[in-house]
Amino acid sequence: MNHWLSLKEVADVLGRFGPGEQVRSNRIRITMEPSAIRDAVKAAQEKLSCERLIAISTADNGRTLELIYHFTGPHRTVVSLATWLPRDSPETETVSDILPPAGIYERQIHDLFGIAFRGHPGLNRLMLNEDWPEGEYPLRKDWEQVKGRFYGGIRKEEQPHG
Amino acid sequence: MSGVAGSLSGKLVHWARMKSPWVTIFNSGACNACDIEIIACLMPRFDVERFGILAKGSPRHADILIVTGRVTRKQASRLRRVWEQMPEPKYVIAAGACGAGGGVFEGLYHVLEGPGSVIPVDIYLAGCPPRPDEIINAVVACLGLMEQDAAHGGREWRRQKSGNADQGSREAPGVTT
Repeated sequence: MNHWLSLKEVADVLGRFGPGEQVRSNRIRITMEPSAIRDAVKAAQEKLSCERLIAISTADNGRTLELIYHFTGPHRTVVSLATWLPRDSPETETVSDILPPAGIYERQIHDLFGIAFRGHPGLNRLMLNEDWPEGEYPLRKDWEQVKGRFYGGIRKEEQPHG
Repeated sequence: MSGVAGSLSGKLVHWARMKSPWVTIFNSGACNACDIEIIACLMPRFDVERFGILAKGSPRHADILIVTGRVTRKQASRLRRVWEQMPEPKYVIAAGACGAGGGVFEGLYHVLEGPGSVIPVDIYLAGCPPRPDEIINAVVACLGLMEQDAAHGGREWRRQKSGNADQGSREAPGVTT
């Protein structure tokens, strides 16, 4: 395959999950419900040869947390599967079992945005330090550093004097 | 033990240390530009090895620790451990705008208030990144500091002089406490 996928080709396979839009000439975005992501990933892998995961990106738009899975393949088209999660209890199904490279992205997103991925085999800390307080997600828009609170590193009393 | 101040062996050790300070480099979360400039010091154009300044891989062999970057929370305990492994007398240079004054990382969630909040820093070296000449200048200034400390019998005199060593070192750009 050496031509870019058209919106119609993608919509034929993924159209049943949600509306698609052509963002740029080689970028197609499908927006869907969180529960449809696993099936959509499988369909994109099998029918559109979207076998390469570029990244899973997350954006906090103030109302919801957007979760976008970017795929590509030999056709060099970027197919993005977008979904959104509520801010108060962001939780979704993992895709790391059908798409192994997604596992490390999910750990990162769990760390920085606090999205829980059900079924992930080891949702441990990845980016933040080991002694970072639980329940603090620094990349959320409403997160603010509390003065005087310990976020890890060296405690005040352990610091050198002079 | 050799190296007692005033004895012949002590004088010999002091002479050897002044003639050939060994440095070790620690990147505590910098963008790597400072590290590249430090490596440039070691390369033929500047070639600090002709002055006896050697870059060592192990902190256990080093007299001077050059810290680059605004210590991240993850690196803080590692930096402390590297510093603890160095033999006395040990000196620390905080290199670059980030290490010396915060740089673009100041106040972010993943960084501490600089290397000075983890280990005692002797010299702050400004620049983003500092030129190799400035790095050499900082090491030479550190040697001057070593000389003064040896004459005063330790580094205690500096704390008494300035009250707060950390503040005193920020007064002169790139040079001494």
